[in-house]
Amino acid sequence: MILFLDIFTTVATLFVVTAGLMMIFGVMKIVNFAHGALLTIGGYTSYVVTQLKLDPWVSWPLALLSGAAIGMLVELSIVRPLYKRPLDAILATWGLSIVIGQLIVMTFGREVQFVDAPFSGTWPIFGVEYSAYRLMLLPAALAICLALTGLLNGTRFGVKTRAVIMNEDLARGIGINSGRIRFITFSLGTGLGSMAGALITPLSSVDPNMGLNWLVSAFMLVMVSGHSMASLLLTCLVFGTVQVLISTFLSPVLGGLAIAVLAALTLRIRPKGFGNG
Amino acid sequence: MDNTSNTTPVEQVIQMSNAISHKSGLRYLAAIGVALLVVGPWIFDTYLLNILVKAFFMAMVAVTVDVLWGYAGYLTFGQSAFFGIGAYAAGLIFTHSGFSASNAIIAIGAAVVVSMIVAFVVGWLSFYRGASPFFATVISLVLPIVLVQLTLSGGSWTGSSSGLTGYETFDLTVEAWYRIAGAALGLVAIAAWFIVRSDGGRILSAIRDNESRCAYLGINTLTVKTILLVVTAGIASFAGFGYGAFSGVVAPELGGFVLGTELIIWVALGGRGTLWGPLIGAILINVVTAYLGSSMPFAWQLILGASFVLVIVLLPQGLVPVLLKPFGLGQYVHRIPHLAVRETAPVSDLEKTTPAILMEGVAKHYGYLKVLEGIDLKANRGELVGLIGPNGAGKTTLMRCMSDGLDRSAGNVSICGNDIQLLPPDRCVKFGLGRKFQNANIFESLTVAECLRIAGTTRVTPSLLKQDKHLTLPQYALDVVNTTGLSQKLGAVARDLSHGEQQALELAMVLAQEPRLVLLDEPTAGLTKTERTQIGNILSSLAHKYQLCCLLVEHDLDFVEEIATRIVVLHQGRIVMEGSFREVVNSELVKTIYSGASHAPMETV
Amino acid sequence: MKKFNPFTKKLALTAACGLALQVYAAEPIKIGVAVGLSGANSTVAPAVVQSSQLAVDEINAAGGILGRKVQLDIVDDASGAVGAQKAFDTLVFQKKVDAVISMETSAARNAALPIISRGKVPYIYTSFYEGRSCNQYMYVNAWVPEQQVAPVVDYFSKAKNAKNFFLVGNDYAFGRGMLDFTKKYIESKGGKVVGEEYLPIDGSDWTSIVSKIRSVKPDALISATAGGAPNVSLAKQLKGSGLGIPYGNLAIDEGTAKTMGDVATGMYLSASYLGNIDTVENNKFKAAMAAKFGGELKTPNELSVPQYEAVYLYKAAVEKAGTTDSAKVIPALGVVSFNGPRGVVQMNKSRHTPLSMRLGEVQADGTIKILETFTKVDPGNQCPNLK
Repeated sequence: MILFLDIFTTVATLFVVTAGLMMIFGVMKIVNFAHGALLTIGGYTSYVVTQLKLDPWVSWPLALLSGAAIGMLVELSIVRPLYKRPLDAILATWGLSIVIGQLIVMTFGREVQFVDAPFSGTWPIFGVEYSAYRLMLLPAALAICLALTGLLNGTRFGVKTRAVIMNEDLARGIGINSGRIRFITFSLGTGLGSMAGALITPLSSVDPNMGLNWLVSAFMLVMVSGHSMASLLLTCLVFGTVQVLISTFLSPVLGGLAIAVLAALTLRIRPKGFGNG
Repeated sequence: MDNTSNTTPVEQVIQMSNAISHKSGLRYLAAIGVALLVVGPWIFDTYLLNILVKAFFMAMVAVTVDVLWGYAGYLTFGQSAFFGIGAYAAGLIFTHSGFSASNAIIAIGAAVVVSMIVAFVVGWLSFYRGASPFFATVISLVLPIVLVQLTLSGGSWTGSSSGLTGYETFDLTVEAWYRIAGAALGLVAIAAWFIVRSDGGRILSAIRDNESRCAYLGINTLTVKTILLVVTAGIASFAGFGYGAFSGVVAPELGGFVLGTELIIWVALGGRGTLWGPLIGAILINVVTAYLGSSMPFAWQLILGASFVLVIVLLPQGLVPVLLKPFGLGQYVHRIPHLAVRETAPVSDLEKTTPAILMEGVAKHYGYLKVLEGIDLKANRGELVGLIGPNGAGKTTLMRCMSDGLDRSAGNVSICGNDIQLLPPDRCVKFGLGRKFQNANIFESLTVAECLRIAGTTRVTPSLLKQDKHLTLPQYALDVVNTTGLSQKLGAVARDLSHGEQQALELAMVLAQEPRLVLLDEPTAGLTKTERTQIGNILSSLAHKYQLCCLLVEHDLDFVEEIATRIVVLHQGRIVMEGSFREVVNSELVKTIYSGASHAPMETV
Repeated sequence: MKKFNPFTKKLALTAACGLALQVYAAEPIKIGVAVGLSGANSTVAPAVVQSSQLAVDEINAAGGILGRKVQLDIVDDASGAVGAQKAFDTLVFQKKVDAVISMETSAARNAALPIISRGKVPYIYTSFYEGRSCNQYMYVNAWVPEQQVAPVVDYFSKAKNAKNFFLVGNDYAFGRGMLDFTKKYIESKGGKVVGEEYLPIDGSDWTSIVSKIRSVKPDALISATAGGAPNVSLAKQLKGSGLGIPYGNLAIDEGTAKTMGDVATGMYLSASYLGNIDTVENNKFKAAMAAKFGGELKTPNELSVPQYEAVYLYKAAVEKAGTTDSAKVIPALGVVSFNGPRGVVQMNKSRHTPLSMRLGEVQADGTIKILETFTKVDPGNQCPNLK
């Protein structure tokens, strides 16, 4: 039973962390390598909330906003000039993450910081006591998935975004301001990334490198998953399960590698991954 | 490099002075390099020599990264993995088996062989039909991560995260190491320089610019990239061995993702695609980091990171070329060869009677959608077949099925009597097929002469070391080049040509392969009246004078009328009619296919 | 140089001598400090730097060593082997320091020793570690497993009736070394080790290991992880899973425990330094640190206080030897002693020092309650082949 809970909560964590990256990759075909830095920003937002003695729940929306604000700056200055050069966009956003990392160090110092969690303790579920916070990630992940799917499928903004995803030139031809769509999508993606950082803080430590461990796994998951939130959830489910199983029954070292290696092999065999193209 | 007939005197003078300043700038740099290598031990203190030795090994890897990324267009974070393999080969063998001359040789051998095997696997994973460049980069990212994790889980055998230290190694002074490392770096750099500048080396840039065009010129790009990766892996590994043997400490950081990204940063700042830029950049950054890293570690990282972002966004050519521009460096000079005629291979009697293209029962469907059905088509030498039909009839799909063995869903295709089965384009092309695409499909950053030379790769193998003073083309290709004025623009970069010139260039490139069958997809699209007449004459002569078989997809019926010997009409995936132009144009069937407006009657003369 | 008359000549000579003496007198004694400003140790590095600075300031205010000022050269070793190599090359060959006093990971230390030997520079290692590292130029003034493990295991066995132990760590020299020793000690005392799990050194996802611990249901848990993030994430994940068994952390320091807030409550640790050691020397030390650093103070802890004492030990050794010459200072280091915040420290037991170890339990407010104190715990024969 604990194994099942481990698996599902791991899947939920993976989804929460990758949703933001997926938004950006799906619409703009750009991989935002600064995503790890955004997770870190989210973590430090929680730290600031703790320092200001505010209610820890405030850290989530605050992280969303700060991530979005940074995203807007980045989109205008760095990503926009690199639309036609996606490989260079990977590099530029990686450079950006170095800059953000150093700025965080210079502002907050290198130490691990203490952060108030919104709640702690365990809940009894299916006969076992399990970490309440981890359990809470499940509905959180589902809520994010539903919200984003609703946004993409049920709003005008969503329709326009899907048009841009499918055929940007045609979308521009019928009057959709694809530049604005990209701008909003990127900011939303970075906001989500930052919020994810705040969400995972109670499970890990807040230090300048906290985002780095997630970056490569998130990147690989996004590459494999195709273009919809549902397919991302499916991808996280499959790969997250494999990771937990391997970590538990073989070794944590191999488990850590599982996502990266499997994703690479999957793409080699089926270049479209889990998506429908 | 001088060509008396193809450029104006003014252009020649400008070229020569550019060449002189570029060449002398480079010679100046090289001279400084050699001088520092010889004199270094007397002017640098031990600490600096120490740093420089390590920097030299790192610079070797940076050079390989530049060849892979700057020249061949393969963004790789994985060269550090091969460096790490080399370093650990030294560490592991010297720690567990002691140091001796034979162990050293075994270690070098192991380093290079293991890396090459790993590189081969990586190449297999990354370079395959339909692979995206993204994917190759992703694999190159995963490689160092996997390798580091394997190293970390090696317990006390690999030293895990502490690495291996204190093993016995070569008994050489720092000065000796300095000279050896510097000389090795020099050799690697010079060899790389000759290769990327040679005629054969330009193929790397061609692959970077337009991989599919290379495939359609008969170049097996997957093999080329894999070989390149294997060779550079061996070099990086050798550098790693040197580093491990010199420093006496090997740790997982030496093979990791972070070092892989640092290499990219050095190459980007140094100037990708210049070779000397990354070399200088890598050495400088390593030295400065050693000195500044202790006094201002955070600020320096911030500066590097910010410079990197700036360079990627604003200055893709890198910082070092900008800094050294006053010395006249950074202007790449293109050699302009003499044009000459190449004798084409004689046509055997068998070839004269075999159809150039034979399609039997060819069909193509995407799921339920049938794009082509029941195609039987035959064309012989000397024929000029026009393929017409409304948009969506399947004309371009038909062309693809002829040129790519994997494309069709059913049926057989033979080119000059050779069944193409499921072969990829680069093999189909070798049966005698040449394909000209609708959009000018050329190599944007190469010169006209380089494009033409690469086009002839399957006939005249380009040298991997030299730049040939002559460029031979079959007579008909030469005709194209001369008629369209490209002979005066051999030194022009392809992206600077006009649309019509680019189309002509592509045609000349296709002809340079000495094809027996030429497929042309809307050759007149976007051409002026004069250019159209030129092309028409060229195509006619190809068929009638040189006895090539030409198959063209066209919408311009006037054009087709002038030159075609036979027309084939395609409609909704089927061949509905074949015959002479008159027969086709006057048929009721064709008129209704073109929905409504019947074609204006042709002039009878 | 032209001289005009004998008077000017004398003046010039005097001036030259004076200048030379000035130069000689102004030549500072350089102490190199290599520490993990980046990497795994970066969380504790600031505290280490601060205590080094305080020691140097106090010594300089009192007239320096042998009348010479002391200068601190701080370099980043990136908490790893490659970085340490660079750092030590810089300290020993570029800055040409007279001694290196540093708190580092075992990876860094192992990479540094060959350079120390080549440079023939005295090296005082101030970090607790897995033991048995020996070099003719190195002394250690922090604890080794022989000193640290026993209090925790003994307390669990006696006070908590623990028979089955589960061991968790990061897979590197320190983690493996500590847990190997712990396992042997537990078994020698009649206990049993029912599980032993490791994550790679930078790993911080303990989910599957935590679940394994839950399924095995040991009486007590002992961990030896890398400092910083792995320590914190393990504690958080253990707390989050609701495991209530006694948990002894062999690699925690007071500063990190404070940042963990209520996650650390109930954790047991064994240390040679704890903030509320009530001695004259410790109170004086704490007051001086607070005065010097004010709001910027990083909590002095197990990893930073030995650094402070080591600088004083070096001062004592140089004064005893009468020179900074390594050949004379090295033997002196094994004889001199210093009464510091941790008590009397004297590196006379096989290059290591007997220490007073305190068993502590983290309280809800972040302070550490001292349960028991063991005085003059012997480090054992760490370097039998060295004098």
